[in-house]
This record gives sequence, C-alpha cells and structure tokens, in this order.
Amino acid sequence: MDGRAPSERNTKAFWQRIRDLLPGLIIPVLILAAWYFYVDGSFLPSPSAVFYILLHPAEDILSCGSLLWNIGVSLVRVLLGLFIAIVVGTPFGFMMGANTGFRKFTSVVTELARPLSPIALLPLSIIVFKDTSFTEVLGLNSLKYTRHVLNELQIGMIFILAWGGVFPIILETMHGVRGVRKVYVEAARVLGASRTFIFRHVLLPASLPDIFTGYRMAVGRCWMVIIAAEMLPGTNSGIGYLLRYSYQLSRLDIMIACILIIAVIGFVFSRGLEYAGDRWLLLRARER
Amino acid sequence: MISFSFLGIEKSYSDPSGKKLRVLGPVDLTVESGQFLCLLGPTGCGKTTLLRILSRLESADSGKIAMGSGNLGYVFQQGALFPWMTVESNVMFPLKAKGVKPGLCRSRAGEMLRKVGLYEFRRSFPHELSGGMQQRTALARGLVTEPDILLLDEPFASLDTRTGINLQEMLRKLCRSLSTTVVFVTHNIEEAVYMADRIVVMGHRPGRIVRDEILSLEWPRDRLSSDFTGVLLSFRQTFEELVDQ
Ligand SMILES: Nc1ncnc2c1ncn2[C@@H]1O[C@H](COP(=O)(O)OP(=O)(O)OP(=O)(O)O)[C@@H](O)[C@H]1O
Ligand SMILES: [Mg+2]
Repeated sequence: MDGRAPSERNTKAFWQRIRDLLPGLIIPVLILAAWYFYVDGSFLPSPSAVFYILLHPAEDILSCGSLLWNIGVSLVRVLLGLFIAIVVGTPFGFMMGANTGFRKFTSVVTELARPLSPIALLPLSIIVFKDTSFTEVLGLNSLKYTRHVLNELQIGMIFILAWGGVFPIILETMHGVRGVRKVYVEAARVLGASRTFIFRHVLLPASLPDIFTGYRMAVGRCWMVIIAAEMLPGTNSGIGYLLRYSYQLSRLDIMIACILIIAVIGFVFSRGLEYAGDRWLLLRARER
Repeated sequence: MISFSFLGIEKSYSDPSGKKLRVLGPVDLTVESGQFLCLLGPTGCGKTTLLRILSRLESADSGKIAMGSGNLGYVFQQGALFPWMTVESNVMFPLKAKGVKPGLCRSRAGEMLRKVGLYEFRRSFPHELSGGMQQRTALARGLVTEPDILLLDEPFASLDTRTGINLQEMLRKLCRSLSTTVVFVTHNIEEAVYMADRIVVMGHRPGRIVRDEILSLEWPRDRLSSDFTGVLLSFRQTFEELVDQ
C-alpha cells in the first residue's frame, strides 16, 4: 500500500496501462506506413480514402445509413444477444455444476448443441422466425417505417447470437462451480449454512472468475458471429452488411474501413473486459 | 451435564476395489459439558472421520449419537477460510448463515476479532495474513456463534512452535470463558497435555479408543514441571506402542 489517494493511484495505473500498450502498436504503425508509401490506389484504396470514411462517421454511406448507425446496430444486436446468453446460460451452467442429476439430464444435449456453429443455424432461424423484428414483438407498429434500431433487431439474428454466446457461458460456469474446493462447501455446512445460503455465498463467489471468463469468451464469439451473420441474407443493416455491400459495389475504401472498425471494436471488447475483470476486487482476492 | 455421546459408532469405507474397509470400530465416548478433550492417535486411525460424523458431514454406518443442541463450531487444519472474503466477512459468515441481523453480525464479529487480536486486520484478505493469523481468524469464525461444541482438526499443525503455544493459550482461555465443550484433534502430545482436561488416545485398524484419562495437572500448567513431563512421557509411551504395532 502506498499513501496516495486512490484516485491518484488509479490515474497512474491508467497511464501505466497506456504505456504498456505502446510496444504493441509498433507493428500496426509499420503496416500503416507500408500501406501509405507503397500502395498507389489502383489495386487497394489509399489510406487517405479509407481515413476519409473513418473521419466522417455520421455521413450516409451508399444509402445504408451512416457508419455510426451501422456500428450502433451491430453493437445493440450483440449486446442484446449477449444479455440473453448471460441470463439463460449463467443459471443453467450453475445448475449443471451444482446438481449432478441436472448435469446428467442436460449434458448430452449441451454437448451436441455446442459444436453447432451459430452461422449454420442462420437459415433455419430465418425460416422459423421470418424477418420478425422486436418492433413487431413489442407491438410498436408506429415505428415500423421509421429508422429505428428496434426494426433492425431481427429475432432470428438475436437467436443465433444468444446461441453463440450461451455455450461458453454454460461450460465455464459449470466448470467454475464444479471446481469450487470441497472444503469451502463443507466449512459452510458445518457453520450452519443452508443449501441456498451456500449457493449464494460460497458457490457463486468462488466461481465468479470462471463465470467472468465465460462472459469474455462469449463477447468475442458474438462479435464474430454478428459480422458473419450480417454478411448473409436476412438483414440490410449493420457493419457486416455494410462490408459485404461495399464489396459488391467495389467500394473497397468502405470495405477496408469496416474491417478496421471490426478489429478495433473486437480489441476494445476483449481488453476492456480484461481490465474490468482485473479491477473487480472479487477476482483479485482469490487464493494465490 | 453431558454434552454429547457416541454409542457403538461404526464406519467403513470401500476401497477402490470395492472391498469394505473398517475405519471406526465400535466407538463409545461420552463427553461432559465444558470439557476440553484432546484426541490423540496415529495417522489414519479415524480422528477426522470421528469429527465428521459428529458434525454430520458424514453419517455413521451404525451406532447412536446423542447431542444436546446442534450448535457446532468447526476449525479445519488449514485453508478453509473463504479467500474471496475479508477477515471480518469470514467471521460474520456463520452468524449470517444463522440469520442474525447484519448490524449485530458486525458488532459480534468485531468483538470476537478483538479477542483473537485481529481487529486491526478485519479488512484484510486471508492470503494477506500469516499462517498464525489465518488460524486465529478460523478460531474466531468457529467461536463467533458461541457454539456448545467446538471441533478442531489439527488446527495448529502447520504453525511453528512459538505461534502454536500462543494459540494454545488463547484457545484454552476463550473456550473456558464461553464454557465450550471442545474436541481437539492433534498429533502433538505436548499440545494435548498442555491444554486438555481429558485425553483420549485412539488406535488404528479399526479406529478405537485405547486410553482415556482425565488429567489431574494443575492450572496454569508448567511445561517444565516434573508432573507435566511425567504425564507427557506416559502418553508418549502409549503412542509409541501403538505405532509399533
Ligand atoms: N472418503 C473416504 N473414502 C475412503 N476412505 C477414506 C475416506 N476418508 C477417510 N478414509 C480412510 O479412513 C481412514 C481414517 O481416515 P481419517 O482421515 O479419519 O484419519 P485421521 O486419523 O484423521 O488421520 P490423520 O491424522 O492423518 O489426519 C484412513 O485410512 C483413510 O484412508
Ligand atoms: Mg485427519
């Protein structure tokens, strides 16, 4: 412990993190430089064309809405799918970890369903859910012909996102709960804790780091799935859609801008969650 | 008054090949309320099993346990503190589990932590404490509900001698003031002779009681007095005969 105020320490830690990042930026910068000096714009677009797109994110592109709008649509889809995956997967995995009977009952189904790529389910999902969006589900028909993000949240798409996210969460949660040392559970029992109390105050906190790992894996998977799904039939919005559409129109500047955005958002997701996980006292206070 | 009694308790485990292995032969034991009992015995003779049966972590194959109230405290050898909780939360855990109001939990835990000298460390996490401090926390957690019976399974085995002796004195004093019945499992004969009102020695294959004696040593006990060393030697002899078998 040093004597400084926590806020000061946090600022310092923040700058330390930025400094830690710098060496990793060398290669991207070199690639950018090579691109800038050696690409003449005939085969690949020049960096300036791509950066023009990136620097004007609010302007309409190819009548598909702005860059920001499409990024927003993809993000909202991912977050909704992830939310469903968390709400379903956490208790499910927890039950599988804590209850042998439930695990036996469900493990075959989970093992069969898990390797099934969400993308493989997209056509089926479109057939089942048609192009029903949340506007219709919520009965907000007045929104139907406006540009509103609810119109872009097709049930089928959210379904496959949740599908992609739910299995890492289930498995990690299950392993986390099963891996809780027996002596903690026994200690709680002899100290008079009931089953539900042990669930809430021993199994849950002891497996939190693993549950969190599951969430991190799920975010990464969902981000991959959404881009692929948006490139397939079933939608005409989102950053993946913009990527494919610009390819069809041979607007490679837009296409590359999309690729860069996808990479950066994926990076922010994974680093951000890692950072949040480290900061979380619960995850740090584990036995070493 | 009787605190608890075992009548013909038996327990077998099946080994990997499926063969039944008798761990506890019939054990009969009656313990008076407020008695400080030390349980000695060679490794594998079933001391831990006996405590687990008493605390209902395990059930006996046959026999009867009679117990007044079921309010138990249990202190494990080591590493049973919850690493994600602060010292204070660890000590509050049994109170919370029994539905005591949060404010009262905190004040009672604080009181208990003062008694074991860890109040200043209440916000630390277990891994930030020394082994001796961790075991003091474990003692506080075991005693905070003022249980009728406190079970301890070699709680000081991993500590150095000096720390062990300090904790022996602290434990003895605390349990006296709360008139707790204590069953203290140990390998350390000197530890047993220093603390116990009564020493029970177990033999193995199957686990059974081979010697049961109420100590007549005066308090406070002096480890260097001839009475003390006499008792110590006699138990050492019993112990060696057992191990030789
Ligand atoms: N869950 C179990 N399954 C099978 N055998 C067991 C089990 N638990 C204990 N045993 C056996 O029962 C016997 C007694 O074990 P116990 O742990 O009670 O001994 P102990 O007296 O506490 O030994 P130590 O002093 O080494 O702690 C041992 O031989 C052990 O192998
Ligand atoms: Mg043992």
